[in-house]
Amino acid sequence: MSKVMSIEDAVALVEDGNVVALQNMATQAAPMALVRELIRQEKRNLGLVCLVGGIAVDWLAAAGVIDRFIGAAVSMETFGLCQQYRKAVEEGRVHVEELSETALNARLGAGARNLPSLPTRGLIGTDILAVNENLKTFEDPFTGETLVACRALVPDVALVHAHRADEQGNVQYEPTILWPDVGIFPKAARRTIVTVEEIVDSEVLRRNPDRTVLPGFRVDAVVEVPYGAHPTSFYPRYGYDARFHIDWTKVSRDDEQAQEFLRRYVREPETHADYLQAAGGAERLIEVTRL
Amino acid sequence: MSDYTVDEIMCTTLASRFQDGDEVCNGMASFIPVAAIMLARLMHAPGLVWLAGAAGLDPRPERVPASTLEAPLWRDSVMYLEQYSDFWHYAQNGRNLGIFCVGAAQLDMYGNANNSVIGSDYHRPKVRLPGTAGLGDMGSLGKRLFYWNTNHNPRALVEKVDFRSAAGYLDGGDERERLGLGPGPEVVVTNLAVLDFHPESKRMRLVSVHPGVTVEQVQEATGFELLLPDGDVAETATPTEEQVHLLRDRIDPDGLCKREAGVARP
Repeated sequence: MSKVMSIEDAVALVEDGNVVALQNMATQAAPMALVRELIRQEKRNLGLVCLVGGIAVDWLAAAGVIDRFIGAAVSMETFGLCQQYRKAVEEGRVHVEELSETALNARLGAGARNLPSLPTRGLIGTDILAVNENLKTFEDPFTGETLVACRALVPDVALVHAHRADEQGNVQYEPTILWPDVGIFPKAARRTIVTVEEIVDSEVLRRNPDRTVLPGFRVDAVVEVPYGAHPTSFYPRYGYDARFHIDWTKVSRDDEQAQEFLRRYVREPETHADYLQAAGGAERLIEVTRL
Repeated sequence: MSDYTVDEIMCTTLASRFQDGDEVCNGMASFIPVAAIMLARLMHAPGLVWLAGAAGLDPRPERVPASTLEAPLWRDSVMYLEQYSDFWHYAQNGRNLGIFCVGAAQLDMYGNANNSVIGSDYHRPKVRLPGTAGLGDMGSLGKRLFYWNTNHNPRALVEKVDFRSAAGYLDGGDERERLGLGPGPEVVVTNLAVLDFHPESKRMRLVSVHPGVTVEQVQEATGFELLLPDGDVAETATPTEEQVHLLRDRIDPDGLCKREAGVARP
């Protein structure tokens, strides 16, 4: 069965209040076309799960789409703190459920395996255990050691970006670093929406089945969006757009200017091509593709 | 004495702490540790195992790239470690990946770190920081933590962190041991000095001051009373001409460590 659909239909699968697991590692590999569509469809009260969120989190906080963040960190690395997210947390509009990386992995790993929890040795001795009700210390029944039980997390939807997929939703990556966004998010989530640089015939996947990382039976929607991770990087296809990130950091401390930025790059462009044009067009794409 | 800048003495100090065969990881926005790792591999520790960005094994980046968490850093790696099923399996097992180079917004007298919030109310913080990321794990997993800070000041080195996002020596003494946690923070390299932790009390202790810096200046820039070593406080070893040449011309020609340390390029 074909899973191919428009980005509007794919994002319509996300309901207000859902917990959404979003691929992202600082300036890397966020499914930004899906992020923009979440904003355009004016989703509300989403919980956002990220390992390390970047500009995507900043935009979703600025647009009032999310009211909670569940993850290990939010940072645009060399481009600094995400100011709109930061402000939303400081003003109490976004609640943070902070987790270490192993604790997030354990919560999702438990969700994927249909277990109530999985343990970690991380975080023992920290204050995070005191502020996160989904983490509890317990005594291991075999050794008596104190460990941290991490309650299962089952996101409603996982959003990922990949290099290619066939119409059935089998998803392939070119050789690159893989973060848990792909390793565990879709396994834990009820639904998975994938944007890809290209939709290909299954014959193409069959040449390198070892590069297929998600089986179509776990994928609900496939949308073809070339440069779908821009302005984040998507190796080996393209790097992050430093100029775009800098442009955002220049306005992101000011609410009005931040909204104007979102209007210009998110709400106004009617198509993905319009967005890429607004973001600098062919010249900019050549720049980020030249690695 | 050779001509050097503060980022360079920080790099050579960190590099001197690595031994051949050590297994070292760097995190995001970590130019000085990355340059130190590259320097150690070129000089005394060619067999240092580097897991760049906790992702790319033994890479060969041409130079320190504009990001320490993007693909140019892990160029020519022998392996990519998938984060969920590879990296954290090796890292959680005590046998491998023993050293982590990390930065912290606040570090206290017992080496506990805060990258979460500034302020007394966690849920309505004065400043929301990035979050604990992997540090909250590393602090409890018995890793040797190498901290660095390019701006040694009383708001960064504090008596008690506002929020403990990573475990150092907790309240000191044998508290870490009692909780069954292995090794912990080992060294703190700043723009002024090198510090470590007293073997018994686990309080932060001055090891050496960089040339031109006095003990009083370091104490004044620290938000708690530093322990002093027995005898005189040493002067940090300065970079050799060869090290300065390697750092400037080969490892970091773009001056990213200088930008990180806020120093003008010579």
